[in-house]
Amino acid sequence: MIKKKILAVDDEEGITRMLKRNLESTGRYDVRTENSGSAALAALSQFLPDLILMDFMMPGMDGGEVAGKIKEDQRFSQIPIVFLSAIVKKDETKPTGSNIGGLMFLAKPVRLDDLITCIENHIRK
Amino acid sequence: MVRFVRIIPNLKLYGAPGFFMSMNQPKHEENHSLTSGKSLIWLGRWLQPTGSRAVAMSVIILALIGAVSELVYQTGGTSFAWLHLMYVPIILAAACFGIYGGIAAALVAGFALGPLMPMDVATHLPQTTFNWVIRIGFFLLVGAFSGVISNLLNGQIKRLRQTNERLVQAHEDLKNAQMMLIQTAKLESIGRLAAGLAHEVKNPLAVIQLGVDFLSRMTPPENRDAIETIQEMGDAVQRADTVIKGLLNFSRSEKLTLVAMDLNALIEDSLVLVRHEFSKNRIALEKDLAAGLPKVGLDQGKVKQVLINMFMNAVQAMGTDGSLSVKTFIEPGTPGQSVGILIEDTGSGIPVDKLDKLFEPFFTTKPVGSGTGLGLSVSKNIIEMHGGSIKIGNRTGARGVVVTIKFPVPNTN
Ligand SMILES: Nc1ncnc2c1ncn2[C@@H]1O[C@H](COP(=O)(O)OP(=O)(O)OP(=O)(O)O)[C@@H](O)[C@H]1O
Ligand SMILES: [Mg+2]
Repeated sequence: MIKKKILAVDDEEGITRMLKRNLESTGRYDVRTENSGSAALAALSQFLPDLILMDFMMPGMDGGEVAGKIKEDQRFSQIPIVFLSAIVKKDETKPTGSNIGGLMFLAKPVRLDDLITCIENHIRK
Repeated sequence: MVRFVRIIPNLKLYGAPGFFMSMNQPKHEENHSLTSGKSLIWLGRWLQPTGSRAVAMSVIILALIGAVSELVYQTGGTSFAWLHLMYVPIILAAACFGIYGGIAAALVAGFALGPLMPMDVATHLPQTTFNWVIRIGFFLLVGAFSGVISNLLNGQIKRLRQTNERLVQAHEDLKNAQMMLIQTAKLESIGRLAAGLAHEVKNPLAVIQLGVDFLSRMTPPENRDAIETIQEMGDAVQRADTVIKGLLNFSRSEKLTLVAMDLNALIEDSLVLVRHEFSKNRIALEKDLAAGLPKVGLDQGKVKQVLINMFMNAVQAMGTDGSLSVKTFIEPGTPGQSVGILIEDTGSGIPVDKLDKLFEPFFTTKPVGSGTGLGLSVSKNIIEMHGGSIKIGNRTGARGVVVTIKFPVPNTN
């Protein structure tokens, strides 16, 4: 089975490290981590992920901006993006993610099972 | 000194914005104006007494009349000078019981001196009878005159007492209104703090949650103690998260209660609540409120909060001896017209490089404890919920800041 590639972006290294360790422990994913929006953009062409997991509130370029840049680029516009947000935008955010304004949001802290369900729902097949 | 805090210092959680504190103290001035009336009211209690105090005064007056007559008898009419002492109880009676009291005392005094007369007639000049009549006439005149004065004064004092009571009541009402305002404003900032706090706390929670999940995968199921421990840690994370979620919900209880109303009236109401700050800092207020503004849908409490934030920012920027101008206007436009308010101060102004930071939560240039930096971010939020807009800039050609707030006028067709 070919491993799916996930790019995890968060300004907190603790979180990207945890995401990588957890997701790779399932044996199903190959995870690359970046700690800023610009670094994530730079990594895209080389890594070409099947899904991007991204923090929303980041210093410098925030998640929304990064997503905008990705959608503008034809090579990457098809890559699904899931936002990990510390500030839940709606009380009704489902544990496995909710679509808010056309973007997929997961509320922090997320449970691993819920995270995997969300990833499986949206990852490029 | 500029502080822009992304991580909230603990201090600030409890450090209420400066103006909340200063609003707790406007009572001094009013209390002062009340005390000058208070001494007159105290006098009023003695001027025309009622109940047991009235009885006591009557006894004293009668005793005084008796004592003076006795003195006159003792001196056997050789010194009529003692007679003049009789004016004391008469004036006292007039003061205590008004015009009738004065007349009654004069009559009693006259008759108390009556027995002196035959003796007088026998031993002295024949005109003394006539003299005696003139005395009583004087007694009556003085009694009546001072009685009239006492009545007038008493009426005045009664009115004063009523005004005073009304003033105390108004003061009480104002205090309550302020307390309510402070309360809502505080809740609002707690909400904003909660949002900031949530962001800072949820990241570490996320790390712990993922760590817990990782450990529970790695731990062999036969190690039941370890599995159970990890389980409990996970539950604790969820509990902490529930608390944060509750705080966030609280911060979003920002539903507006819109009522069509006159922006001018709302401005007047808000100015009342900060007028102490103005007078304390000798700040002149120039009002130019446009007549016939169309009504707009406003949440009274929240918009008041916005206006007070603006006024307090201006006061804080001006220090003492500034001047604040408040204008309202109608702005035609497409799709609809809007009503606006223009607030201009003569304060420090804002450095150009800070202009785009103003609305960020927790941006403040004020010392720790006197500003949380939430005023403008909360205000902007409230105005935008109304569909309105806020702009802040430096005045052109003069020092100070100009704030422009606009609210859309609802279409009537
Ligand atoms: N009228 C003004 N003149 C000069 N500077 C101003 C004015 N209004 C706001 N500012 C600047 O903007 C900053 C942010 O204002 P804001 O009302 O958001 O917070 P604050 O007044 O510092 O704190 P708080 O609202 O908690 O009292 C202020 O600290 C001040 O530097
Ligand atoms: Mg302020």
